[in-house]
Amino acid sequence: MIRYIIRRLLWGVVLLIAVTAIVFLLFRVLPTADPAKLRAGRLQNPKIIAEIRADLGLNKSLLSQFWIYLKGVFFHFNLGYSYYSSASVRGLIFERLPATVSLVLGGAVLWITGGMAVGILSALRPRSRGDRASMGGALLLVSAPEYWLGLIVLYLFASDIGQVRIFPGAGSYTPLTSDPVKWFTSLLLPWFVVAAANAAIYARLMRSSLIETMGQDYIRTARAKGLPERQVVLRHGVRAAINPIMTILALDIGVLLGSAVLVETVFNIPGIGRLNYDAITHSDFPIVQGTVLVAALFIIVANILVDIAYAYLDPRVRYS
Amino acid sequence: MRWIRTIVPALLALAAGAAALVLGACGSSSTSADAGLNTPQGVLTPANEPQGGGHKGGTLTVLNHQDFEHIDPGTSYFSNDYEAMYATQRPLYSYTPNDVSTPSPDIAESSPQISSDGKNVTIHIRHGVHFSPPVNREVTSADVAYALERAANPNVANPYYLGYLSAVEGIPTASGGPVAGIKTPNKYTIELHLTEPKAQLVAASLVLPYSAPVPVEYAKRFDASKPSEYGNYQVATGPYMFKNNSEGKVLGIGYQPGKSAVLVRNPNWKASTDFRPAYLDQINIQIGGDTNVIGRQVLEGSHMVQNDPPAQSIVKLAYEKYRSQLEISPNAGDHYVAINNSKGPFTNVNLRKAYWAALDREAMNKARGGSLVTVPMTHFIWPEIPGFQAAGGYAGPKYDYNEHPQGNMAVAEKYVKLAGYPSGKYTGGKTLTVVGATGNPEAEDAQIANQALNKLGFKTKLTLVDKSVMYSKYCGVVSEAIDVCPNVGWVADFGDGQAVLNVPFNGKLIVTNGSNSNWGLVNHQKINEAMTAAEKVQGKEARAKAWADIDRELVAEAVAAPYDWDKQPQIRSQDVAGVGDLWNVGSWDYNYTSLK
Repeated sequence: MIRYIIRRLLWGVVLLIAVTAIVFLLFRVLPTADPAKLRAGRLQNPKIIAEIRADLGLNKSLLSQFWIYLKGVFFHFNLGYSYYSSASVRGLIFERLPATVSLVLGGAVLWITGGMAVGILSALRPRSRGDRASMGGALLLVSAPEYWLGLIVLYLFASDIGQVRIFPGAGSYTPLTSDPVKWFTSLLLPWFVVAAANAAIYARLMRSSLIETMGQDYIRTARAKGLPERQVVLRHGVRAAINPIMTILALDIGVLLGSAVLVETVFNIPGIGRLNYDAITHSDFPIVQGTVLVAALFIIVANILVDIAYAYLDPRVRYS
Repeated sequence: MRWIRTIVPALLALAAGAAALVLGACGSSSTSADAGLNTPQGVLTPANEPQGGGHKGGTLTVLNHQDFEHIDPGTSYFSNDYEAMYATQRPLYSYTPNDVSTPSPDIAESSPQISSDGKNVTIHIRHGVHFSPPVNREVTSADVAYALERAANPNVANPYYLGYLSAVEGIPTASGGPVAGIKTPNKYTIELHLTEPKAQLVAASLVLPYSAPVPVEYAKRFDASKPSEYGNYQVATGPYMFKNNSEGKVLGIGYQPGKSAVLVRNPNWKASTDFRPAYLDQINIQIGGDTNVIGRQVLEGSHMVQNDPPAQSIVKLAYEKYRSQLEISPNAGDHYVAINNSKGPFTNVNLRKAYWAALDREAMNKARGGSLVTVPMTHFIWPEIPGFQAAGGYAGPKYDYNEHPQGNMAVAEKYVKLAGYPSGKYTGGKTLTVVGATGNPEAEDAQIANQALNKLGFKTKLTLVDKSVMYSKYCGVVSEAIDVCPNVGWVADFGDGQAVLNVPFNGKLIVTNGSNSNWGLVNHQKINEAMTAAEKVQGKEARAKAWADIDRELVAEAVAAPYDWDKQPQIRSQDVAGVGDLWNVGSWDYNYTSLK
C-alpha cells in the first residue's frame, strides 16, 4: 500500500510537470497579449518594452524560460509575479484559497447529503411517485445553468435586491476568521447553487448504483440472516454502491477548487476561480499559469485520496 | 396569486436577456440647452450637479465590476484609476468636476508662468501641504521633481511621459535619475526648461497624476524593484489615502487586488490648502461581481455608487424607473472604425470616403445603446474639448460622405467610381482582414462595419478577439497589416485638442516594432507637419483653432470612419448626492460626492 501511494505521488509530480509545460506552451503559441506590451501601457515605447522583456526573461529561449519557471515552482514554490496586480501569484492564490475552499466544501457537504439521501430513497422505491418526482427535479436542476440559477436565487432571496429578502446578497462574503456567523450566512445561497446541479447528478448516480447493488446475492444473504433492513441498506448496500460516487466526488471537488468561477462571479466571492477569470480577461499569464497548476494539484491529490479511501471502504480492494 | 406577480416578471426579465438594446427607443424629452447632447429630462449631468453644500461624514460604498489597472500615480491612466488617484493624490493642477478645459491650481499655488519663447515653465507650489503617514513631512518642489523624473524609470513605465514631456531637456534619454531640464531653485519652486517651445503642452499635461509629488527618500527603495512597488506603499497628499499600516504598506490592507480597496481620510490633509470639500469620511470599494446584480444593488440600495460603466440593461432600468439616480456625462471619448491608411486598398482616399459614406453609424450607435449614451460622431474632436465648435460642432464639416449617419450607398458608390472602379463596387482581388473585439456591443458593431465593406464589394475576413489582444497584437501593429479595426476608441488625457488627435493620427509616432495607438497607421505628411506646428502653439484659443484645423483636415482625408461620441452613464443610490467628473467620463468624484 505504501509503495502504491509513493508511486501515485511520483506520477502526480510527473503529471504536474506535464500540465505546466502544456499551459506554458499554449500561452506562447496561441494569440494572446504580449506581457511586455501590457506592462508597458498605452503608449508603446520600444526601449521600455525591450527592458521589460529582458526583466521578464522573454528574450531567453523557450526552454530556458520554462526551466527557470519550473525551478521556481518546485524548489521555491514561486509561482511567478503578476504585473497586472503588482503582487506575487502565490500570495494572490493563497489569499483567495479560503474563500474557494469554503464555497466548495460547504457545497460538497450539501450535495453529498442531499444527493445521497434522495438517491437512496429513490433506489429503495423505484418507479414510485416519489422516485419519479425526485428524478424529474434532478433533471431540472442539472439543466439549469449555474450562472442563471445564481442570478435567480439572488433576485428571489437576496436581502438587498430579492423579492423575499432573507439571505445576504452578492458581495457579502466574509472570511470565517473575521465573523463565523456572517461567513456561514453569506455562503448559504452560493452553497445552494453549487450543490443544486451536483446533488442532482449524485442522486441519479446513487440511485442507479444502489439499485444494482441491492440486487446482489450477498444482499439477499444479509436479509436471510435476519439483519434489519436499515443495516442491510446502509452497511452492505450503500457501502458498496458508494464507490463510483467517491470517484467523481474527488474529481468534482478537485475541479471546483480550481474553477468555481461562475458562482464566485455572480456572488462576488473572491476565490481562485474569479482570480483565474480576471487574469484571463487581462491576459495576466502568470496568474493563469499559477491557478491552472494549483487546480491540477488539487485534482491529483483528490484522486490519490480517493484511491486510498477505496481501500478503506471496500475490503475487496487491496493494493500490492 | 401574488407571488406570481413578483417572481414571474423577474424570470421574464432574465429570459429577455441582459443586453436590452432598445435604449434608442427611450428617445428624448430633452430640456438640455445643448441640443446635440440630447440629455433627457430628469437625468443629471456633471454640468447640472450641485458641487457644494454637501452633508459631511459617512461612508460611501462603491461597487465596481472592474479592478484598478494601476494605483501608482506614476503609472495610472484609466478612468477607474483616476477616481482613486485624484482623491488621494494632488497633481500640480486639477480640474473641478464640471470643467474639462481650465485646470485649477492644486499643489501649485497659481497658474504656471510661461516664458515668452515658450521654452520655460515656472511653477510655485503651496506651502503647508503634507504627505500622509508614515512620511508626514511637508511637500517640497523636490518631491514634484522626483515624481516627474520617475516617470522615465522603466520600473515605473509611465505610458505618456514621452508624449507630453519629451521637450523637457534630458527627458528623452532619462531613465529615472535627475533630469537636466527639471530644476528646483528653492523648496517651493520648480522650473521646467524645454528644448522646444512647447510650454503650453507641457503645462497642460501637469493635470495628470504623474505630477503628484512623491517623497524621494521614501519612494526610492520601492522604485528600485522591477516593477516599482511604490504603488503598494504609496503615500497621499489628497483628502484621502489608501488605508495602510504603520510602515506604509497598502497592499493587502487598503487595497486587495481584485477584491476591495478602502480610502480613509488623510489625517495630514488641510482643507485650507485645497479646493476640494471632501465630505465623506471613508470610501469602501468592492471589486467584482455580475454587472446586472451590482446595478440593482446600487439602484435599490443605500449609500452606494457604481463607478464603472453599468450594464446596458441597468441603464435602461435606471432610465425607466430610477431616473433621478442616473447621470449621463458627455466627453466620455469616442469610437471609430480605423482603416489602414498605409497599406492596402484604403491608401486611396476615395475608397476611405466611400467607406465613411457607406457606414451605418446610426445602427452602430443603436448597438451601443442609442441616443441616451451616444452622439453621432462627425469629426474627431468631441464636445467639451476646446476646438470642437471650430471643427464643425455636432453637424461636422460639410462633406457629402459625412451627411448621412444611416449610410448612403449612392454617395459611397460615387467615391468608389472616383477610386477607379467604374461599376461602383470594389473589384480588386484583395480580401480585407477585419479584426474586432468580442462581447457586446463590440461584436455587433464589428458585424455592421463588416457589412458596409461587403456592400462596397470588398471580400472580408472578420475575426473577433478579446479587446486587449485586439489592441496589443493586431490593430496598430505594422507587421500585421490589418485593414480594418471597427472597435477602436480614444479618451483624451486632458482637455486639449492635441490630447485627442495627436496619438491616434500622427504618423511620426508610428513605431514599426511595437503596437501603435494610431490604429489606422495614418501617416499623411501635411497632417504630420500641421501637428508638429500645432504642438508649439501657445495660448488656449490659438491652440483650439490650430487643432480644429487639423481635425478638419483629418475629415477631408477621411482617415477613419467615426461613429460615436460617447456619453457615459453612471448610477447611484437614492441617498447619495453624486458629483461626476466631466473630465473623467462622468465618474463619481469622491472629493465632491456626499451622502444625503
